[in-house]
Amino acid sequence: MKKILVALLLLTLVLGAVVAQGASEASADTYPTGPVSVIVPYAAGGGTDLIARALVDVAKSNFPKNITVENRTGGGGAVGMSYGANAKADGSVITMITVELVTLPHTGTGAGLYYDQFKPIMMLNSAYSAITVKADSPYNTLTEFINAAKTKNMRVGNSGVGAIWHLAAAGLAKTAGVNFNHIPFDGAAPAITSLLGGHIDAITVSYAEVDSQVRAGNLKVLAVLAPERISATPNIPTAKELGYDVAIGTWRGFGVPKNTPQPIVDKIYSIFNEAVKNPTFVQYMANTNNIIDVLDGAEYGKKLAVDNAMFKALIDELGLKQQ
Amino acid sequence: MLVEVLTAVFNLQIVFFIILGVFTGICIGALPGLTATMGVALVLPLTFGMDAIPGILLLIGVYVGAIYGGSISAILLRTPGTPAAAATVLDGYEFSKRGESGRAMGISTVSSFVGGVVSVIALWLISPQLAKLALRFSAPEFFLLAVFGLSIIASISGNSLAKGVLCGALGITLSFIGIDSITGYPRFVFNNINLLSGMSFIPVMIGLFAMSQAFTTIETIFTPDQVTQKITKVWPTKSDWKVIWRQAPISGVIGTIIGIVPGAGAEIGAFVSYGQAKRTSGHPELFGTGIPDGIAAPEAGNNGVTGGALIPMLTMGVPGDAVAAILIGALTVQGLQPGPLLFTEHTMLVYSIFLGMFVANVAMLVLGLSSLKLFVKVLSVPKAILTPMIFVLCVVGSYAINTNFFDVGVMLVFGIIGYFMQKADISVSPAVLGLILGPMAESNFRRALLMSEGSYTIFLSSPIAWTFVVLTLFTLLGPIVGDMVRKKRQA
Repeated sequence: MKKILVALLLLTLVLGAVVAQGASEASADTYPTGPVSVIVPYAAGGGTDLIARALVDVAKSNFPKNITVENRTGGGGAVGMSYGANAKADGSVITMITVELVTLPHTGTGAGLYYDQFKPIMMLNSAYSAITVKADSPYNTLTEFINAAKTKNMRVGNSGVGAIWHLAAAGLAKTAGVNFNHIPFDGAAPAITSLLGGHIDAITVSYAEVDSQVRAGNLKVLAVLAPERISATPNIPTAKELGYDVAIGTWRGFGVPKNTPQPIVDKIYSIFNEAVKNPTFVQYMANTNNIIDVLDGAEYGKKLAVDNAMFKALIDELGLKQQ
Repeated sequence: MLVEVLTAVFNLQIVFFIILGVFTGICIGALPGLTATMGVALVLPLTFGMDAIPGILLLIGVYVGAIYGGSISAILLRTPGTPAAAATVLDGYEFSKRGESGRAMGISTVSSFVGGVVSVIALWLISPQLAKLALRFSAPEFFLLAVFGLSIIASISGNSLAKGVLCGALGITLSFIGIDSITGYPRFVFNNINLLSGMSFIPVMIGLFAMSQAFTTIETIFTPDQVTQKITKVWPTKSDWKVIWRQAPISGVIGTIIGIVPGAGAEIGAFVSYGQAKRTSGHPELFGTGIPDGIAAPEAGNNGVTGGALIPMLTMGVPGDAVAAILIGALTVQGLQPGPLLFTEHTMLVYSIFLGMFVANVAMLVLGLSSLKLFVKVLSVPKAILTPMIFVLCVVGSYAINTNFFDVGVMLVFGIIGYFMQKADISVSPAVLGLILGPMAESNFRRALLMSEGSYTIFLSSPIAWTFVVLTLFTLLGPIVGDMVRKKRQA
């Protein structure tokens, strides 16, 4: 009798262990088993941070053991993304990945970062370059601007050397077969200010960043470097329509370390795919001029590869590779 | 608009944060060694989780309070609580010797208030105009403005110009670290990912200003500061009011102008105001013997700097002093970029800052006149309790900025550097100037040349540029010419 009891006890223990093992192996049913942190590779309060926080806020109820946003800044995003790429592959660390993931490695400042270290979960937002000039500028269309650039060295302001809007301007120049005099600023705001003061000819930052000045009648947008017209601004043509086949912009999305089991990835996708439809989040994005642009993991992965190749070619050609 | 601003500032939560800031500021200022810069740097991380308006106003409250609070220990202990109160010691302590420390503090409180209010009015009147003018500033103008600011090093380096220049150069050299903003080339990063975006400004500041002082305090940790005086008769007498009305508004204006000049901070505002009061006085020989003018002028002068320093900070993103540089960090964390766009896109916020700063000055007046005894008690908190608290705050503060432990190391290294700089009697202010204005000068110089495609004439292409060239020459050559003239007269 005693033996049977012992055997039973052992059996329960073993079964329990197996079940528990199964649980920690984790699947869609049990995720998340513990607290989850979302790594934002940029400073608290910045655009990327605020979007992450707004989205995490509406998705909170799906994380009973708590979900927190953690800012790990430095290296233009490389510090935070490297941290996220090397985290435990169990979905406990989700990283907000941005376009810098496919630009920094090529400029030589990625500190070993490469896009294939991540398994992409979903893209949630995109912003494309808007070719913007002063409202009283003599150029009213992109074609006029490009034609003028053939004889005059246009001063085109961007948000930093090697940063996405520099690459956008360079991409346009390459496609159109002209040369710009690229003027780097420390961020988009000083570039916009300089354009307003008439010290430069154009800027290539995102539409969201110039929106308020466009509405105030101080600036005008000649074209957006987007694959198709932006729904918020249906009157602004794309460069592609005008014969310059170039689409360059920034995007934000979620990624996890590449060895994360697929069921967990799917679960995270389904949670956040619901969250982006939450009216509170949709309203937030609309208020802040951010465009929700969702891609699932597979499509996002393809986009990462395409962008990575494009930026590599562009950066090599510009001679921006350092070290 | 007006109603919106009024409701934004006069709500319980915001007024509470302003008063809390001023209260904290006065305590920090009153404690010798804890400066306004340090106070604002230590409180900054607490504002990350707050909304922009209460967060910024909390910091401004600390700033205003600390600049005033420095006078308390200057008067009572003959030790300026902040460098800004150094000029107040000259006459303030004489009052204490006569047993009139209450009277001296009353004059200091009211004068600080007047100086502060003058500067807020100037901020409110000048900033929106200057924000419009700021659009005319391009790379060459910013470069020349930075050079003008750097030339101030000559006049703030205290006893030794060589030490000042050396220290300024150290600051500029530090700013070289990180990705070069024009070519994107990583400089002096030694393959360390943490150095790619350069030295984090705030941890450096916390190290140089707070940690170094905490190290110094250890040396005297068991020697208590003695406050034996009873504080009575704080409310100024009729004759003192007269002096305040004569002296404080002028000193406030002087302080404001000095605040606007990039790099020149409250200590210069106080000394220049003191000097001006002495020069224009009918009896300059009485200065230093404990006369009300000798408190009213520097105290109004240093608080005058507070509003002045915010003028270039808000309108152009150029810090007027070290505190304004930290406030830029505070705004950036909130996703707000100081500069002319702030005035068009966040008008509400800008005017809330103006009004909130006025409220901070009122809070300072009320707290100063009503609770001086409490602030004097702060002086008797044993250093053995206070110093460890500062250590903790330094570590937490520098970690919280980027949640990067590397920054704590940076803070500690600069704490040690700052400690030895104090030992060698080198003022750290020029280093901060170099750290702030160095990159501004460098990137704008190169940006200007990019814009002009290599032509140096761009630096003399506008009246604004010319103005700064003349001002810089004036600051650099003025003292030399003055010396020559004096020598000739003597000969």
